[in-house]
Amino acid sequence: MGLLYSTLKYLAVTLWSVFVIAPFLWAISTSFKDFQSVTNGATYIPWVDFEPTLEGWRALWKSPAQGGVAIVEPFFNSVFVTAAGSAISIVLGTLAAYALSRFTFKAGPIRNGDITFFFISQRIMPPVVLAIPFFIMLGKFSLLDTLMGLILVYIVLLMPIAVWIMVDFFNKVPREIDETALIDGCNPYQAFYKVVLPNSIPGIVVAGMFCMIFGWTDFFFSFILTFTEVQLLPVAIVALNSSITPWWSLSAAALVSVAPLVFVAFIVERFLSKGNLSGALK
Amino acid sequence: MAEIELKNIAHSYNPQAADMTYALDPFNMTWVDGGRYAILGPSGCGKTTMLNIMSGIVQPSEGKLLFDGVDVTTLSTSERNIAQVFQFPVIYGTMTVEQNLAFPLVCRNYEKSVIDAKVEEVAKALSLQGLLKKSASRLTADQKQLISLGRGLVRDDVAAVLMDEPLTVIDPDLKFRLRRQLKEINQKYRSTLIYVTHDQNEAMTFAENIIVMDAGKIVQVGTPAELFDRPKTTFVGYFIGAPAMNFFECQAAGGYKLSIGSAVIMTGTDLSKVGSAPFKLGIRSEYIRIVEVKGANTFSAYVQRVEDMGNYKLVTAVFEGHVIKVKVERDIAVPADSVELQLPAENCCVYAADVLVS
Repeated sequence: MGLLYSTLKYLAVTLWSVFVIAPFLWAISTSFKDFQSVTNGATYIPWVDFEPTLEGWRALWKSPAQGGVAIVEPFFNSVFVTAAGSAISIVLGTLAAYALSRFTFKAGPIRNGDITFFFISQRIMPPVVLAIPFFIMLGKFSLLDTLMGLILVYIVLLMPIAVWIMVDFFNKVPREIDETALIDGCNPYQAFYKVVLPNSIPGIVVAGMFCMIFGWTDFFFSFILTFTEVQLLPVAIVALNSSITPWWSLSAAALVSVAPLVFVAFIVERFLSKGNLSGALK
Repeated sequence: MAEIELKNIAHSYNPQAADMTYALDPFNMTWVDGGRYAILGPSGCGKTTMLNIMSGIVQPSEGKLLFDGVDVTTLSTSERNIAQVFQFPVIYGTMTVEQNLAFPLVCRNYEKSVIDAKVEEVAKALSLQGLLKKSASRLTADQKQLISLGRGLVRDDVAAVLMDEPLTVIDPDLKFRLRRQLKEINQKYRSTLIYVTHDQNEAMTFAENIIVMDAGKIVQVGTPAELFDRPKTTFVGYFIGAPAMNFFECQAAGGYKLSIGSAVIMTGTDLSKVGSAPFKLGIRSEYIRIVEVKGANTFSAYVQRVEDMGNYKLVTAVFEGHVIKVKVERDIAVPADSVELQLPAENCCVYAADVLVS
């Protein structure tokens, strides 16, 4: 019974692993192919089925005039916009969440829980609802097709995630820890940044990870709100889908776009293993 | 250290509501500098609210709080210079044990040499020396609570150390040792210790004075012996002592006498000025004697059961519908059917409308 269970368990894990890894293997394999290897039937194993080439990868660095696809600038644009948007969202979201967790707000029938829901409700709406208001507002402030405009939009999109995650996190942090810090001699601001904040690193890391994932993978707003001056990575990759699609460069670009998230996931995993969300304090 | 005075202090958690209720009824209280107090009462009686008012976590709805005659009612928690230990361990998980203990001193900008010396002293007193460099989050629950206690004891100049059921998560052996250490610390530094608990044994063994609370009111303040011998209300009689005080519905029978059914009992209380209201006679099971012959203040009761409690026997007897608990020494033989019980007059407490007639 034990052996059967163990066998089935490993079989299921293996199948799931193949299911998850297969697209990556396919992309890695394709990124080393040339036109012939892609178009002349299915090929799988390098040096056996096809002769690998770095042409797909070299094209990423070349400008279109040199026959490349030029994703370096969009890549760094995406890094900058995502990092700035996420960082500002986390800072503002953490402060807002702490206030919502620790103080009572009343406005007619509205209470703290309603305000928290109001934040996250921004994410319930389909993004297209926000496209026209964003377009008009950014246009009025001459921020269309700029990195600054995208950062502002991303803050609006990402802060609700930060607030939502951090409110839940702070609610699990016993109030006694704030009270103890006050008794030990901190003022309320010191209690927050000397005691509560260091203990909230796991929550901040999780919120940051979600912000980065949502920011990095956004295609819709970066497509609607930019034209020629600024291009983000998802838009640049989609732009490769021309009449003759360069699957090799497209695959290489897709792998480049996934790499930062894989890197973030490894870092986050290390942080989370240091202390789980609910038990980090007591 | 400071003398702490609570003047007409009261607190309500719904002060604006039409049906406003007090969590803590208006009261006056003075905590003598260097005293060792316990606040005792059932859950929800207002013990923690009183403690939080003193530390500044809760602002009282009414009244003033004075430290050595200075009004501190509106001062912040840190300005009051109070130490407080909560029921469950509160540690700074990102710091080491040493940093945790030093934190109250660091916040108040003490010199490093003073901090190091105090941390070492407190760590030694609480047997934490070997753990100083360890991360506080990696310790057991009772070790964490020791750190909480240590943070409360590390400052010499605190007005008082407030403890809200601090030994709940501690093992019984260690609990006993810590209570003794807290007493020693109180005697050594003459720091005012105020200890909240719902465990009467803890209160009795720890405190010089006990404040008994019920439903937001202070019911009695006294030494453990006073609370045991002369409970001011029947609530205190029920709440203090195990088993609870015996109470009998009775009638005045002239002068110092009361009648419990057919038995007439002489008490130490002159009842002639109190009127003929229905009384209750209270007596501790420890003071009721089993005698062999009838005499003054005796009556025959039917023995319902005898329980061996290890170091004593607990006899449950019935007299004309009244159930009586009597503690007797283990070696004393208890008759199987009926016993003569004697209620010594000096140990009888008389209550009118549940309040002790003095």
